[in-house]
Amino acid sequence: MRSWTLPVALGLAVALIGLGVTLGLRDGSAAAPDARAASLAAELRCPDCQGLSVADSPTRSAREIRAQIDELVAGGATDDEVREHFVARYGEWVRLAPSAPAVWIIPFGVVVAAAAALIAWLAARRGPPAIGEASSLTDAERRRLREEADSLDA
Amino acid sequence: MSLRSLRWLLVPLLVVPLTWLLFTGFGRDPRVIESPLIGRPAPAWTTETLDGGQLSSAELTGRPYVVNFWASWCVPACVDEHPVLAAAHAEHGDRLTLVGVLFDDRPDDARRFLDRYGDAGYRHVLDERGRISIDFGVVGPPETFFVDAEGIVRAKMTGPLTDDVMARHLGTILPGVSR
Repeated sequence: MRSWTLPVALGLAVALIGLGVTLGLRDGSAAAPDARAASLAAELRCPDCQGLSVADSPTRSAREIRAQIDELVAGGATDDEVREHFVARYGEWVRLAPSAPAVWIIPFGVVVAAAAALIAWLAARRGPPAIGEASSLTDAERRRLREEADSLDA
Repeated sequence: MSLRSLRWLLVPLLVVPLTWLLFTGFGRDPRVIESPLIGRPAPAWTTETLDGGQLSSAELTGRPYVVNFWASWCVPACVDEHPVLAAAHAEHGDRLTLVGVLFDDRPDDARRFLDRYGDAGYRHVLDERGRISIDFGVVGPPETFFVDAEGIVRAKMTGPLTDDVMARHLGTILPGVSR
């Protein structure tokens, strides 16, 4: 087992747990209706303002979308059904965060891969090779080096 | 796997997705948002008209119609496209219905706009709570939807209409108009 396998495995485990917690927190169907409506409003882009969520915007559209979210939630719609209601009108654009799991996982993957590469590189650099064992010089080369060194001294 | 081979894998692993991202990202116009409504039935609505009557989308089906979201405060875009809509109504009004929907506007302001720039004669409806705008996924005026005689949305224009754009989009719902 190489010296960097353990840190890499640990890093991967931490990243996976983080991913699981993040995905777990996103699924809020069990929460209270008001809290669900509020978190859904925070996920949706206000159509007639720049970069604000429906929850943070005072415009007429945002007000009406909040009212519609309340109605849908009260009518028994799941979180995904509420999101889909607005995606069917505005397109995927209306979601402040992308829905495809791949889009969520890619950044985690890149960070984990980069961390693994860094750890591996550091581990390989740190340990100095044991004399004689890790040296890749042949006996002939070693002899020649000694001769060169001697000739410099002379 | 040896470290050396891992290092060479890292380069394509970073460069390929980044290149792809930039390539597709720059290839598209960030202002164009594809409407998910295209190819689907137009949203249904019933509401008050600007002149105090009632109008329902159900009355429109059977022949092609154009829904134009506008506002008196939408200058200059809505002012610029106003003659284009008036011309389309004058030219194709016998087989095409045009409807204006007020986007977040006061009826009095809208009437003043029509007094000033000319009332082309087609109807305008109120959308007090914004429900119609939301059902059409309107982000901001002007936006125009082209609905065929079966009630299916065939085209959408975001931004002011020009004669060319109008003719091209009308071609998707009106037979005989060049596309």
